[in-house]
Amino acid sequence: MSGDVRVFAEYNRDFEEVCDAVVVGSGPGGAVMARELARAGKDVVLLEEGPPFTPPDFELDGAISMARMMREGGLRTTRGTAMTTMQANVLGGGSLVNSAICVRAPASTLDGWCDEFELENTTRADLDPHYQAVEDFLGIAPTPDDVQGPRNLLFRDACRTLGYSSEPIARNVRGCRGSGECFTGCRARAKQSMDISYVPSAIAHGARVYTSMQVQRLLTKGSRVWGVEGRVVAPFTNAPSHRFRVQAKVVVLAAGCMATPVLMQRSGDFANGSSQVGENLQFHPGVAAMGVFPDPTHPEFGATQGYQSLEFVRDGYKLESLWAPPGVFAVRLPGLGFELKKNLALIPRAAIWDAIATCNRSKGRVRARRRGLDPALTWRLDPKDIGILVEGLWRITELFFAAGATRVLPGVHGLPEEIRSLDEARRIRSREFRESDFVLAGNHVFSTTRMHGDGRYGVVDQYGRCHEADNLYLADTGILPRSPSVNPMLTLMALAHRGAQQIAARL
Amino acid sequence: MLLHVWFWIALGVLVLVGIRRVFLGYPAAHVGAKALAARELATVRTAARVIFPEGGAIPASGDSARVAQHSDRFVHAQNPSNQLLMHLLFFAIEHGTILFPPPGRSRFRRFSDLREDQQLAYLESWRQSERPERRLVFTSLRAIVTMGYFADPNVLRALNLSPREIESPVIQADLLWPAVGQHPQDIRFGPEDVATGERAGPLLPGSPVHPEYR
Repeated sequence: MSGDVRVFAEYNRDFEEVCDAVVVGSGPGGAVMARELARAGKDVVLLEEGPPFTPPDFELDGAISMARMMREGGLRTTRGTAMTTMQANVLGGGSLVNSAICVRAPASTLDGWCDEFELENTTRADLDPHYQAVEDFLGIAPTPDDVQGPRNLLFRDACRTLGYSSEPIARNVRGCRGSGECFTGCRARAKQSMDISYVPSAIAHGARVYTSMQVQRLLTKGSRVWGVEGRVVAPFTNAPSHRFRVQAKVVVLAAGCMATPVLMQRSGDFANGSSQVGENLQFHPGVAAMGVFPDPTHPEFGATQGYQSLEFVRDGYKLESLWAPPGVFAVRLPGLGFELKKNLALIPRAAIWDAIATCNRSKGRVRARRRGLDPALTWRLDPKDIGILVEGLWRITELFFAAGATRVLPGVHGLPEEIRSLDEARRIRSREFRESDFVLAGNHVFSTTRMHGDGRYGVVDQYGRCHEADNLYLADTGILPRSPSVNPMLTLMALAHRGAQQIAARL
Repeated sequence: MLLHVWFWIALGVLVLVGIRRVFLGYPAAHVGAKALAARELATVRTAARVIFPEGGAIPASGDSARVAQHSDRFVHAQNPSNQLLMHLLFFAIEHGTILFPPPGRSRFRRFSDLREDQQLAYLESWRQSERPERRLVFTSLRAIVTMGYFADPNVLRALNLSPREIESPVIQADLLWPAVGQHPQDIRFGPEDVATGERAGPLLPGSPVHPEYR
């Protein structure tokens, strides 16, 4: 049995479809849902607003790539504490433009979820079979040494020198060539993003996949949802054309943590008696620094993110190596004119390492704007969480000097533009920082429709089913009750895998 | 009565000076500019020249890297609300000299008309400002200009950071959908084209460079 695919060029009229389950969004949550439901023999329609991208569509120019693949041109920013964050607008969602990191959430974190959010069956032991199923399907494995490249191996060596745990990052990749191009699309077709893994498998099991479909409203009656409707939109411009409507016994919203709440709010604030829809917005804010080494590091070679340290996860941050289009890093290098050029010339001898922080005290909200589907994001970094970022920055600097770096460029206002010794670096810990001193990136987003055992405090139960709408399920990172302490993609996919089994049993 | 007349004359002069300052006397825009007006291109071009002058550790300048043209493309690719913010950004930089003038004579001139040393001092004052809002504005400008600079193959070549040639293997998904904007009939692959067997090995410093970056 094989399903159907439609792209923008094929729509020539308004249309209506009927199915068992309609899934909105083809990112890691939606794609897993669609595939597992189709595999269980259900009639599935998967809707994605963005177009499918193929290698000729990938732009090596980071700016244009962002403008084409991200909502709001990649320039989405939070109010309150100004921080950039992104949401992909392509078939496969964020999996097409992330660095493929697939890490199971620590048992202690999941135990904390269960205790605090009254979840009964969401311990690590409960999720392990689902983690395993996803890992097996995607071929998730630790990054091998032959594609680490010097900058990732320097990170490993630094951790060893300081006695910190470190490990090659497990990724959904097959045949990585170490191009360091994860963020602009994998030309080697090695990354098992959803568009080349779960979505084709869903189609093979009979799912219908329609791209360029912007869902604008849930169709509801009382406390039930009976479908979705919206407009066909052109790639990149989002210019609307034909209307569509999909009727379904079950609706799965997997539009992304920042879009799903907007869709519910735009649908008459559906299933929001708890007033929790759009609340509890959390990020993993990240800080990065550049270390300069005496010899070339060939930073453009190697896995985008190949090594990590979970040594300090309990303290609220995870350390990792990083690479991106050079223009992105160059923005933060000190100086102007010839001085800046001198610093840019250091990049071939540099490595960039970062810390992503679990900032559970720093929360915000997502609200629908008066017009359109882009969200208004408000978020503030809690002063107490600044300390976590400072510690992360200090550890990165410490690692750089342990690896033999001759200087570190922290890119933080109020610190010296270059730190040339560990002694100098110790000042990082003794200085008072304000949130505006950091150039922050909101790496992962979650909790805007969080799960909770008690419907007064959360939007969905632990299977992703809405407390207030029996046949509405959510399957994006919005359902995570708070930070998973590590990159959220694998945990989301495991939860979607479990949720799909429950839906399949009910249909 | 006389005071009244002088008031209107002064106001009229101010308006004329304002119009002259904001709209007139800029170099012509390059042919084909899609999103930025001549005055905004002048701002970007000047900023690119100050941030990336000719020579030094990387030979390419903001001019030779065609940063202004890239910025025009980038702004054009944005949605209308982002475009509005970018227009405001360029305006703030161009005329921020009224509020934050650099040292020296004629320091209240618009940014693109300042002397080179004043332009550098003016941007430095934004970069190192104690006000986070000013730093944020400067970071936004610098992001646009820097991304444009790094889009120039000559810059990446000078740094030995050019992307490598990668032949994308045909995979099953390539049989499902065409390139963006095309029809499924345009898919030029069949099942017989799907790559099987060993994948190509890791890229190394000696691997061939992407043709557009040679």
